[in-house]
This record gives sequence, C-alpha cells and structure tokens, in this order.
Amino acid sequence: MIAIKIAFFVGLALGQLSAQELKMPPNLDHLAAKATEVVDVTLDANLLQLAGRFLSDKDADDAKVKKIIGGLRGIYVKSFEFEKPGEYQDSDVEPFRSQLRSPAWSRIVGVRSQKSGENSEVYVKTEGGKIGGLAILSTEPKQLTIVSIEGSIDPDQLNELGGHFGIPKLGTDSPHKASKSGKDE
Amino acid sequence: MKAAQKIAVTVAASWMLSSALLQGAEREFNDIVHAVSDELHARPLSIPFFGLINFATSVAHPAGVKHIDLATFQDLDLDEHAVRKIGEAIQRSAKGGWKPFVQVQTRNQTVIVYMHADSADCRLLVTAAEADEVTLVEVKLNPEALQVWLDGDRGVKGLGPVLNDQESPRHSQPN
Repeated sequence: MIAIKIAFFVGLALGQLSAQELKMPPNLDHLAAKATEVVDVTLDANLLQLAGRFLSDKDADDAKVKKIIGGLRGIYVKSFEFEKPGEYQDSDVEPFRSQLRSPAWSRIVGVRSQKSGENSEVYVKTEGGKIGGLAILSTEPKQLTIVSIEGSIDPDQLNELGGHFGIPKLGTDSPHKASKSGKDE
Repeated sequence: MKAAQKIAVTVAASWMLSSALLQGAEREFNDIVHAVSDELHARPLSIPFFGLINFATSVAHPAGVKHIDLATFQDLDLDEHAVRKIGEAIQRSAKGGWKPFVQVQTRNQTVIVYMHADSADCRLLVTAAEADEVTLVEVKLNPEALQVWLDGDRGVKGLGPVLNDQESPRHSQPN
C-alpha cells in the first residue's frame, strides 16, 4: 500500500512538473511541408552541458554564454520561412499561445509593426519569485519563430544568447525595461 | 604472475576494450551509411588513404580529434522529395545515444547535426543531403582539447560556428 501511495505522489509530482514545461505544438510539423526553410534546434540539459564544453572560458562572449547556459534546462527553437505570406495561420500558433496564458506566464514585451507585419512577444515564467523559463514568439508574414528557454535566465541575458543556438536577435537592449503588459508600436 | 606479465595483460585488456568501443562507434556510423546506401541504391565514394589519415588522427589527436569517419555519395540527381527521404532515413538509423540538436531543412537541402556524449569525449555527426551529394561525417573529439587548440590562436575556425550563429573575431588573423 505504501509503495502505491509513493507511486501515486511521484506520478502526481511528475505530472505537475511536465505540465509546467512548455511544449512545442506538434501541429507545427505540417508547416514544414509548406516552408522553404525549417530550422529546428533541440538542446536539452545534457546537450547544453555538452555544448557548453565547446565554449571557451578565455573568450569574453563565449564565457558569458557559457555562464548563462549553466543555469538552463533546455533551449528549443523552431523557425519556419515561407515563400509567400499566408502560409501559416494564427490557429497554428494557438496551442503554444494557450500554454502561455497560464498564471505562471507573463508577457513582458510585445512589439508590433503595422508596416512590416512583424510581431514579437517575450514571455517569462516565474517560479517562486524567480524566472524559470522564457518564451519568444516572433511572427512575420513569411516567417514564424518560436523559442522556448527552460531554466533560470534573466531577460537581460537574452541579448547575450541572441545569435547563438538559433535564437534570433530581438533588437531590444533590455526587454524587461518595457512595461509588464507589453508595449505595442 | 610477474609484474611484466600483469602490465602486458592490462595493456592488452585496455587495447581490446578501446578497440571494442571504437568498433561499436564505427558500426553505428556504418549502419547510417548503409541506410543511406539502401535509400539511394548507391555506394559511398571510396577515398584513397583515408585509413591512413584516421590512423594519424588517432595517434596525434589534432585539435582534440581522436577519430573521424567520412562517407560521401556524389553525382546524384535527387529531387526535393528524395532529399527529404534521405533525411528521414538518417533519422531512422541514427539510434542509440545520438541526439539531433540542429536540423535545417530547405527545399533542396537537409542538414542534421547530432551529438553523442561519450565519457570524457564527444561525438558529432554531421549529415548533409543535397540534390547532387550526400555527406556524412562523424568526429570523435575532446571539447576541452579543441578549446586549448583554438585558444592557441591558430587562426582556424573550429566548431564554434556550429554553436554560434555569428562570427567571433577572436579567430581572425591579425594582418
């Protein structure tokens, strides 16, 4: 009976843990057939640790990135580039957005350009007062990029990670300086 | 048993163990090559003296590289669908500890980079399928030894670009 109780609580804890992890929507895979370019980066904790060994302690940039990834549990990037606009719909991104509507997630940056149709959003997940995850959703008429970073990261450090591991450069100096509710332009 | 005999037995056992591990790694690579061969109905190009290069690599460990395997299929005429099929065949055959961490797929090219943790070393498998060529490269290396080599300002790009999307000025030659 004790073993069953332990198994139940372990299962419950694992279930809650997995519920907290952000999942890449599986329906995105069908977009690969329409896309002219698909980039998929999957770095779990083990691979990040391994990747960190390729970064030098002597180089300032590498050392910064190495320090950042030391606190991460995973980096997941999916990017699709299309030949013409309208190849993907909002409904394709909706399963990802709906996960970000949970109370643990808050949008800290929202940049929208009416002219170019670009829309970038940055979300953070708070765990016990600390940032435990970060998500970026960047949509353009012909491009869709989803980034999920799991683990402890400061939004300021995003700039350091931008350009590494397939994470796009956001072009913002300090995301957390924007209003909590997001800022549209 | 005399001390000399003990040493001889230890050396022989170590050699056999390392050979077995190396053969296991080669078998994994060969399985992937066979899968691509079956898909293409073609054999990889024979590269003269490649065994010699590999022997030199296993002795000298240049840039931390301990072993290298290469298979290339040339003069192909693959359409977009066939290129994708090759990518799928590679994904099906890359089993065990191989983890794909970068996948780039365009209309006429599929590139998948795998990593495999191997105790102190690391194995990288880079596969690239294009319309006219399919290339598979597996490198076993020690990341720290590679870093030492790169920090020695050799002026040669190493694996940094695999992980960094941007160019790092530290490798440029001061001229």
